[in-house]
Formats: sequence, structure tokens, C-alpha cells
Amino acid sequence: MPAYYLEILILLLGFTMLGIEAFSSNRSRSGIAVLGISGLFVVLLFLIIAVPSSEVPYDYWGIYHVDKWALFYKAIAILTTLLVLVLAKDFSSAFKKYTSQSNEFSGIGEYYCLPIFVCAGLMWMASAKDLITIFVSLELVTIGFYVLVSFMRRNVGSLEAGVKYLVLGALSTGFLVYGIAWIFGVTGHFDLSGIAEALNSGEIEKKPIIFAFALLMVGLGFKVAAVPFHIWVPDVYQGTSMPITAFLSVGSKAAGFIVLLRVIEPFLNSPLTSSSVILILSFLVCVTLFFGNLVAIKQTNIKRLLAYSSIAHAGFLMMALPAMESGFHSKLIGPSPMESISFYLAGYLLMTMLCFLVITIVSSLTDGENIDDLRGLGARSPLLAFAMLVGVASLAGIPLTVGFFGKFLLFNIAIQYAVFSGSWYIVAFAVLGASAGFYYYFKIIRAMYCGGAEQDGDQLALTISTLSRVVIIVLLAGVILCGVFPKLILGFL
Amino acid sequence: MPTLNEYLLMGGLLFVIGLCGVMIRSNIIVILMSLEMMLSAANLTLVAFWRFGGGEGLPADSYNAQVMVFFVITVAAAEVAVGLAIIVALFRSRQTVDVEELRSMKG
Repeated sequence: MPAYYLEILILLLGFTMLGIEAFSSNRSRSGIAVLGISGLFVVLLFLIIAVPSSEVPYDYWGIYHVDKWALFYKAIAILTTLLVLVLAKDFSSAFKKYTSQSNEFSGIGEYYCLPIFVCAGLMWMASAKDLITIFVSLELVTIGFYVLVSFMRRNVGSLEAGVKYLVLGALSTGFLVYGIAWIFGVTGHFDLSGIAEALNSGEIEKKPIIFAFALLMVGLGFKVAAVPFHIWVPDVYQGTSMPITAFLSVGSKAAGFIVLLRVIEPFLNSPLTSSSVILILSFLVCVTLFFGNLVAIKQTNIKRLLAYSSIAHAGFLMMALPAMESGFHSKLIGPSPMESISFYLAGYLLMTMLCFLVITIVSSLTDGENIDDLRGLGARSPLLAFAMLVGVASLAGIPLTVGFFGKFLLFNIAIQYAVFSGSWYIVAFAVLGASAGFYYYFKIIRAMYCGGAEQDGDQLALTISTLSRVVIIVLLAGVILCGVFPKLILGFL
Repeated sequence: MPTLNEYLLMGGLLFVIGLCGVMIRSNIIVILMSLEMMLSAANLTLVAFWRFGGGEGLPADSYNAQVMVFFVITVAAAEVAVGLAIIVALFRSRQTVDVEELRSMKG
């Protein structure tokens, strides 16, 4: 089966779900979510089994590129969407308060369908090796997210988040398109291999191409939530519904990173632009690490805390980008920057989704999103508290979790690169950021286990559906197993 | 006939005017119009680069830039459709289209 069938299958699944949504008389709509979850699972199986490895790497019509990275990031996109649908199903009880006046489930069907279309966009992004394809797939994702972010129409926070995401998202699109126009003007190409050739031909000038690259970085920096293009992140994460926060934080970031990796590669490997590009990237890494981690310390809303943590993780991931420079490549001991970033993103998917599942279940019952609302969770539901403990420990990077190994790989690259080029200040910022991380993540753990639950007295029983229970246990096992045996993920790379 | 530089200057001006509009104005509909202006600036730049891309003032021999322009127009239309729907929903619940009043979240 050719790899591009996967996206077509996903689209067919989305249209089927929309059709059922429109014509079914069953009001609860949870059947649509189950259909989506099982459909995505089948496509994931197809991706693993049915796409022949003899076929990769392969270029379809020069606009759609399949290699092992594309397949890996496609798998991340499908898995993320699947987990988002599980979250959305759990969230539906809290959700119906905000959509329509009649307090019915109407309008929730599209909430299950839209992530499927966004997923198709994320998968196209993983395969895009052409600025036109990159732009169109990126917009498919962004416009899908505009709707999803502002989906809870009766909730003021959600609409406000939607408007902010719309304005800043469209602004970043403007920068991206203007950057693409200038890159086309300077190099005469849209495809990345043609751009690489033109950059190495020695016939182009430096100033316009750096200008174009900087414009492009604004657009992509917005996607991966790098400082100073992060201003949308805290408000949007806080305002929108929990499943979409998780989707933004994992799916959008992972796909943004594969595009970023693909786009900066020709610029880093050309002698004309490489030094300026490294300078831009190092600046972004330092401010992202510094700002993301330090502002996270004073947050009390848990979604806002995870938003700043998401910015901080973008900083850690970008730490490996300057090391993709061609002169350094042969000197590196250990996994390459591409492998390390992919490993970290896969681990990030597991641990972030674990945290969001727990918070979704807790907040859909108590309606609270502050760290204080987790108080006494250790006594109320040991499974949820333990899952949150492992997820948060992994985000902080405690040994025996996947987060530790991911940070280990990235620090390995950053330190070796610092020895090579003398950029020790990046390592210093990263160490500062990681240690600040311990503090703010442990605030959550302290609230769960050390805070008394006596404050309001009413011990709401936390009911966990069977599906969520299974998913929590699988993710929990994934975080710990991949932390002990990193080969489980590295084997795919 | 205008030269490439004049077109690029025009495109750059449009882009900067659009950017200033997004930064300064607080009416969200005006902001949306300014965003459209930024995309038009990019389109103008793309077409100008295509027109002068083939050397000696002749068009480039591939039509990729034109295709890109059509995609940008399509995407801009989709963005406005979704954007206006969000603005209508916002106006219904808040009776305002002023972004300065959207500050319920802080931190």
C-alpha cells in the first residue's frame, strides 16, 4: 500500500464520521468517538504493517516525501489524535455545559470529527518537502485548530482563546507566506532540495536570504511555541477545552518540529547562511529556555503551568538544532540530533497525554483547573495520583522515566556541540531551566500527596471509564518502560 | 514599465502597513483586514518575483509561484470564513469586537 493512502483513509474516516453525525438519531454521539478511535487505531496498524519498507525513502511527484522520519511523525500524529479523542470522550460531560442552551449533546459530534481532519494535516506536514505543501498542510492544521479552540461557544474563555489564536495564527501565516515569497525570489525554487542547490551555488546574496529565513522562522516558531512567538500559548492553553490543549501541545508541536527540521537543514549546511542561522537559533533557544521555565514557577493554574512547560520543552528540543550543522555531524558520538528530537517528542507525547488524561478526569468532575484542585488526589484515587506522579516526574526528567532519557540525549548533543563550537551559554541556560523545572513540577506532586483534602469535605467519587483506565495504564507502562529500555523507541528510528 | 524593485517596495510597504494595523488597531474586524493586507503583500511579492524571475525581465519558466498565489488566496478565504464566524460568536456572548476588552486571562 503506498504511504499516501494513509491520509486518504484518515479523510474517509473523517467524512464517514461527519455523515453519521448528520444523520444519526442517537443523541449521545459517543458512538462517533468510538468509531474515530477504532478507525485511527486501524490506520495506525496499516502504517506499521502495510506500508512496505522497500518503498521508503520515496518521493511522490516531488511534493510528497516518504522516509522513515515521515512515517515516524505520521505515527505520532495518529497516536496523538487517538488519545485526544479518548480525552474528548471523557470531557463530554463537562463540555455539554458550554455548547448549547438545551444542555444536550448536540454539537459535540463535530468535536470528534475535526481532530481527524487536523490529523490528516499533521500527517501531510510530516511528508512535506516543498514550501507550497508545507504552507497548505500547515494551514489545514491551523484552520482546524481555530474552530477547535473556540468550540465551546458558551464559554467566554474559550472564545477569547479562539480570537487570540486566530489573530496571532493569521499573523504568523502572513510572516510565513512573505518569507516563502522571498525565498522563492532569491533562490527561484519552492522545493527544499532545489533551495539547497541554489544556496550552495554561490550565486545568491546573503542579506535577502537571511531576511527570508528570519520571516520563515517567525511562522514556524509560532507553531512550535518558541519565545518570542509564544504570546498565544498561555492564554490559548488556559482558555480552550482540555483535549484541545493536549492536542495543541503535542500534535501541533511534533508536526511543527519535523517541518522546522526539514526547513533549516539546507540553511544550516550552506556555508553562505550557516553562521547567521546558528546565531538566530541559539538566541531563540536561550530565550525560550529562560523565559519558559522561569515564568512557569509562579503559575497556579495547571493548564497555564503546562503551557509554560510546553514552551520550556520547545526550548530543550531546539537545543539540538544548531548541532545539525554539517561540520559537526561526523564528530558526534551517540544518536543524531534528528533521532534525539524524535525520541524526545515520542516521549513527550506519552508523558503529556498521561498528565492531560488525569487532569481531564479530575477537572470534568470538580470544574477546577488550579493546582489546589488536585489536593488530596493521592487519597481519593491512587491510580490517578500515581499516573500524574509518573507523568510529572517524566516531564521534569527524573531517571527511570522516558523524560529523563530524552533530556539525556539532548544534553549529550548540546554538550558535545559546546565543546565543538564553544557555545557553553546554551548548556548553562538549559541546566538553569531543567533545575527550575524540578521546582514547578514538584509543586503539583506536593499538592497531590501532601495537601490535606479536608478543605471542602465533599469527597467526590472519581469514576474512571474502562477505556480511560486502559489508556492510563498503557501510557503509564509506556513512560516507565521506554525510560528503562529506550531501545523501544530508538529501534524505530 | 515598473521594475522589480518598485514592486518589492510596494509589497514591503503593504506588509508593514498590515503589520502596523494588527499591532495598533483594537477593532478585530480591522485587524482581520490588516491580516488580509499582509497576505496580499506576500502575493504581490510572489507574482513580482515570478514575473522577473526568468532573467532579462522575462517570467520564470515554471508556474509554481502562480500556484502558490492561488493557494494563498484560497487559504485566506478559508481563514476569513472561520474568523468571521468566531467574531460573530464573540459578539453574541460579549457584545464587543474590541480586543482590548479580552483580558479575562492573566498570568
